[in-house]
Amino acid sequence: MVVISRVSRGSKMDQIYLPRNREGLNAGDYVVVEALEEEIGREKKNGKVNERLFFYGVKDLEPIKLEIIKKVMKILMDKRAFIYNNIIITGSFLNKGFNFKDIDLIIVGDKINGKYLKGILEEKTGIEFHINGIKNKDLIAGLESDPLYEMMLNKCISKKRFVYRTKRKIDYKILDLHLLKSKALIDNFDILNGGEKYYLVRNAMAIYLFIKGKKISKESVDTEVKKIFGVNIDKIKDNLLDRDDFIRKYNSFYDKVFDLIIRGGRK
Amino acid sequence: MHNRNKLIDILISNISNAVVHRILEKATLNPEIVDWYRKEMINSFQIAKKYRDMINPKEKLPEKNIAYIRDKILRKVKGELLIRVNKGYENIDLDKVEEEIDQVLEEMKVI
Repeated sequence: MVVISRVSRGSKMDQIYLPRNREGLNAGDYVVVEALEEEIGREKKNGKVNERLFFYGVKDLEPIKLEIIKKVMKILMDKRAFIYNNIIITGSFLNKGFNFKDIDLIIVGDKINGKYLKGILEEKTGIEFHINGIKNKDLIAGLESDPLYEMMLNKCISKKRFVYRTKRKIDYKILDLHLLKSKALIDNFDILNGGEKYYLVRNAMAIYLFIKGKKISKESVDTEVKKIFGVNIDKIKDNLLDRDDFIRKYNSFYDKVFDLIIRGGRK
Repeated sequence: MHNRNKLIDILISNISNAVVHRILEKATLNPEIVDWYRKEMINSFQIAKKYRDMINPKEKLPEKNIAYIRDKILRKVKGELLIRVNKGYENIDLDKVEEEIDQVLEEMKVI
């Protein structure tokens, strides 16, 4: 069994945490602890992989997912005409387990033909991809002013190192545009499924946290959702909300966020 | 399940939202990243389409419905945009509102 995890600092000793549910690596077994870079370096010698990867906010990852990522990188690198600044894997693929619909890929470069690359990757892997091509300057601008970029890139794996902790710039117009999307939850509560409701709630909450200067990550957003709406995230995703109660709280929250945006954008 | 009038009202809300969104996109975003923003999992346009299909998927709507829908959307959209214009938003072209509405209504096969 192979596990990928991070070394955590301890008071007397540093440690590596292992998931309880695992096969092998039982308490008392002797193990070899090796840096991931060395493992990748060894594979590189054996001609298996070209370069190291950079992990941001990814505490652990199923080894098979790492294999998939390496394969994706290899497929893209084999395309000689493909010129890029960076390749970033993000989204639910990096969450624990295998409950993902597709792999979200951000390819940073000047002229990225996302549709073409999607076709190649899907043909060669059998996995669905969602590819966004973006210029580097737009990525940086997005990270500064867009809460959704921050949430997306809070947990990602990239081919090259990138600066993702930038100083926030509150662009109220961008936030307004994002918040408008979440208005759909108010009128369409009955038609939306649990996943869609969660997406829209999460969107509004990310905007709120962004304005308040708080950290935006899946975990922080989920915690605040639970705190403000008094419901477990799973209840939203499973579409088990109390309609009237939730709409009342959501309306109030939406108006509060919209007010913050409009007041903030006032000249 | 909603009755027809209720479906039309919800359709109006969603189309209004979609139109406001498009106008604000043009006023706010770098044109190169508009596509990025449009490729979202869920948006008002997609939801509006679901309601449109519930009302009468195969044919255009009756003229009296179209006039009512168009008028309501126009009022809602202008109302939303004026809130923003009054707060100092720039580049919002109110003259383009009707054109944007008609475009969305055509895409929805309402007209």
